[in-house]
Amino acid sequence: MKRSLFGRIWPNATAAVLFVGFVFPVYWMFATAFKPTGDIIAENPVWFPTHLTFDHFDKAVHADHFWTLVGNSVTVTLCSVLLSLVVALLASFALARMRFKGRRGFVVTFMLAQMAPWEVMIIAIYMIVRDGDMLNSLVPLTVFYAMMVLPLTVLTLRGYIAAVPKELEESAMVDGCTRFQAFRKVIFPLLAPGLMATSLFGFITAWNEFPLVLILNKDIEKQTLPLWLSQFQTAFGDDWGATMAASSLFALPILILFIFLQRKAVSGLTDGAVKG
Amino acid sequence: MKRKLASAIVIAGVMVSVAACGGNDGDGSKDAGPDSWKGQTLTVWTMDGSAPPQWSKDVQAAFEKKTGAKLKFEIQKWDGIQQKITTALSEDNPPDVLEVGNTQTPAYAATGGLADLGDLKQSIGADWTASVSESSVYDGKQYAAPWYFANRVVVYNKRIWDQAGIKTTPKTRDEFLKDLDTIGKKTDAEPIYLPGQNWYFLDGLIVGQGGDLVRKQGDKYVSNLADPKVAAAMEIYKKYAAYSKAPKDKDEATPQQATVFAKGKTGAFIGMGWEAATAVQADKSIEKDLGYFTIPGATADKPEGVFLGGSNLAVAQNSKKQSLAKEFLKIALSDQYEGELAKLSGVIPNKESLESNLKGNAAAEAAAPGASVGGTTPLIPEWAAVENTPNPIKSYMTAVLNGKSPAAAAKDVEGEINQRLAQQN
Amino acid sequence: MSVQTEGTDTAGGPAVRKGRVPAPPRGADRASRSPAGRPAAAPYLLLLPALAATLVLLGWPLVKNGMLSFQNLNPRQLIQHLTEWNGFHNYQQVLTGPDFRKVVERSVFLTAANVVLIMVIGTLIGLLLARLGKKTRLTLLVGLVLAWAMPYIAATTVYQWLFAQRFGVVNWVLDKLGWHSMADYNWMGGQFSTFSVIVLLIVWQSVPFVAINLYAATTTIPKELYEAAALDGAGAWRSFTSVTLPFLRPFLYSTTFLEVIWVFKAFPQVFAMNEGGPDRLTETLPIYAYVEGVGNQHFGVGAAISFLTILVLLVITSYYLRMVLKQEEDEL
Repeated sequence: MKRSLFGRIWPNATAAVLFVGFVFPVYWMFATAFKPTGDIIAENPVWFPTHLTFDHFDKAVHADHFWTLVGNSVTVTLCSVLLSLVVALLASFALARMRFKGRRGFVVTFMLAQMAPWEVMIIAIYMIVRDGDMLNSLVPLTVFYAMMVLPLTVLTLRGYIAAVPKELEESAMVDGCTRFQAFRKVIFPLLAPGLMATSLFGFITAWNEFPLVLILNKDIEKQTLPLWLSQFQTAFGDDWGATMAASSLFALPILILFIFLQRKAVSGLTDGAVKG
Repeated sequence: MKRKLASAIVIAGVMVSVAACGGNDGDGSKDAGPDSWKGQTLTVWTMDGSAPPQWSKDVQAAFEKKTGAKLKFEIQKWDGIQQKITTALSEDNPPDVLEVGNTQTPAYAATGGLADLGDLKQSIGADWTASVSESSVYDGKQYAAPWYFANRVVVYNKRIWDQAGIKTTPKTRDEFLKDLDTIGKKTDAEPIYLPGQNWYFLDGLIVGQGGDLVRKQGDKYVSNLADPKVAAAMEIYKKYAAYSKAPKDKDEATPQQATVFAKGKTGAFIGMGWEAATAVQADKSIEKDLGYFTIPGATADKPEGVFLGGSNLAVAQNSKKQSLAKEFLKIALSDQYEGELAKLSGVIPNKESLESNLKGNAAAEAAAPGASVGGTTPLIPEWAAVENTPNPIKSYMTAVLNGKSPAAAAKDVEGEINQRLAQQN
Repeated sequence: MSVQTEGTDTAGGPAVRKGRVPAPPRGADRASRSPAGRPAAAPYLLLLPALAATLVLLGWPLVKNGMLSFQNLNPRQLIQHLTEWNGFHNYQQVLTGPDFRKVVERSVFLTAANVVLIMVIGTLIGLLLARLGKKTRLTLLVGLVLAWAMPYIAATTVYQWLFAQRFGVVNWVLDKLGWHSMADYNWMGGQFSTFSVIVLLIVWQSVPFVAINLYAATTTIPKELYEAAALDGAGAWRSFTSVTLPFLRPFLYSTTFLEVIWVFKAFPQVFAMNEGGPDRLTETLPIYAYVEGVGNQHFGVGAAISFLTILVLLVITSYYLRMVLKQEEDEL
């Protein structure tokens, strides 16, 4: 009896500890953002902010060109996610469903492409974009961000497509659908979790990117939110309150998107990613 | 931040003189004279916190009125600024005018990215203070114009000093150390907040000792960190740091020393006058306790050496609006607006004759005596690389504070410094 | 060989889409031979956009980067658009320098430590999720998702803040727990302690991905397999090793591969935490390339290091890549 009670308690107790461990840093970010500066730099931590203040948020939102940057970030992120999804969908269908010479080589190409260390290639990219006279534009950002997530997207979607029983597709074609119609009506709906998982990944990547936009777009009208986020670390040190407020705002869209999509999406980034 | 302090101290909107600002239009501009200015837009990069908004507004109005061109100030963040300037100078449409730190100027001058401002120096720079103009000269040519300067002072908490029974501010280093000792004994406050890597304070001490960070070996510069004078400066630093609980491996920015000071449990810190505004912002109640004094030196007649930080204004070589850019400099650096800047920000202007604008600004008045004995880091193009993160001198400081002898600590990092000094350009 | 793990609701209990049975036969080619089959060009046309993108957007920068690695490229050359070839000088400088070997060893070690921890903890939490009641599971899932969704920059800043020497929460708690020597402990003061914080951060960020996916994967294991194992008299441990583990193996392989790549390339977490300090003792390969190249504005050297970085990563992942190659071969 005792043992089974223990057996029932320990998973829940462990879960509770884990929950606190995983959530605390997120909580601390939000809590700090709402505290007056005096409570932030405190000898004894203020666990629950009692004097709530919106000063830090106010400061964060009223930074120069905030809304322009929001617009740019949203545009670049959505466009790059969409672009990579469309391109990847085509490629992954071929890789999952067709037989042709060099297929293996293509799969390996995408696996290798996943390893590209983008942060350390930025000078090369900068010189290409500069010499192509494309600085201070959202286009290079969009296509490079799309490329950063393309390999993983291709490999993931390939796994999802391969998992759709061929018979479903074939029976649709027997019913008179063209190959494209069969894809649209049969495979595509079943890809939903895969599409969401990969677009989340793309969203996070594009939303977070910092080094490239820093040197490509010096015109503030063409910058994105990570640059805004970094500005609260001033020459004279970190303004923790404003930094945390900005971080909270910055994280919010992704947190919401995650919570919103997770029922369908989180089930599989790796699923097909590198499957055989 | 600076703005708040300045506006607290300064009577707003006082324009002193209507001094003639550059009556000689169009000199030295062969390609694009004043006729072509109309309708153009001049882009000026200033660093975050440099130019008070009021000043920018006034200069912009004067510039646009005089030239018919538009002026766009773009405020730059500190994060990644070096890559940004380097790459920007390589572009076809760089910012026309940019603020460059005085210690960074020789390095940028050596890249060929900055325009020669020799004619400007002749027309408006005759009475620029020599010590502050020095950093913008490379290879005998003037590559930038001195804009403003600042040095560190002691910001102290009057209430805590009262509690410790100290009536006057110290005039010598020994008195200062004794005062810190008294505060430590008589109050529960931390006598001074001095993190281990306030490296520009150390640079000031080295200046005070007459030391040099590099020396020439053949035709190359090598590290001089093992010099006894540098060691002596570091020993002074160590004496001060002994009165602080601040982390030995952090600089004054993490956490911001002013926010720590704002808690009211710190006797003093060494910083820029305007950092006081940050403290007030963090906690209003500190405002009435704020005081400033010059960092005292070994003897009462000569204050401690300080690092004379500052900024120059330079014109990008690739800018297609050279004459307009120079016209901007003439206006911005005119006595009227240079004086206004000093007044608003409490910074040291580029001419001694304008220092009267600092009257009434307690922090600036405390800083001024130091400036006369101030110095900089070595003004050679190779130096900029040494200060790049991770700055080996900061490692040296932490090592000494953790008990290593200055000689041994210097030996550990000199290889790195020499490697950086030897980087080809 | 391969097992599909998708198609399950993470929060909605086991195998919602029962209809989708894992592992259809792998002959992935019947369709193209079917009556409606396309001309042989079809797959290439479909692949064309992706390949073109890869070639232009990745291949070109890589080639450019390779070319830069044979140049003396500093601010002066960059600003004046000069090209100064200097042969293998950059590589020579890096490979004969005192740091490179240490940095490589450090990167490999850090990657190994992180990946092992991530996989073990992630798997355990994944299995725990499967054992929990519905409400507790949902709560824990939300916690995991929150940690996972935190942007790197924000997460790194929060961790710096938690582990700050003076006003950090962690030191305060350790002190209150009776560990008074930790009251003013400086986490960023030593190599090991800095790495500990970095590892904690990376593990915290990466575990949710593994745990949630693994949990999703376990829900697709057909109940019949366990029943069959139970009939054979297998205990809990046996049924784990004979049913669960083999079923999850491909998933574990591919996840490990991804984590190796991600952790090895981890940049903002390692760099922002302490900028490679103290004394450059926590520089991993990407940081080293960045500090030498972009930070010190020695772009040619940076390019050379980044090329070496790619090589090292290839060596590390070669085992898995070979496995995949072989597997693809079997399929054709």
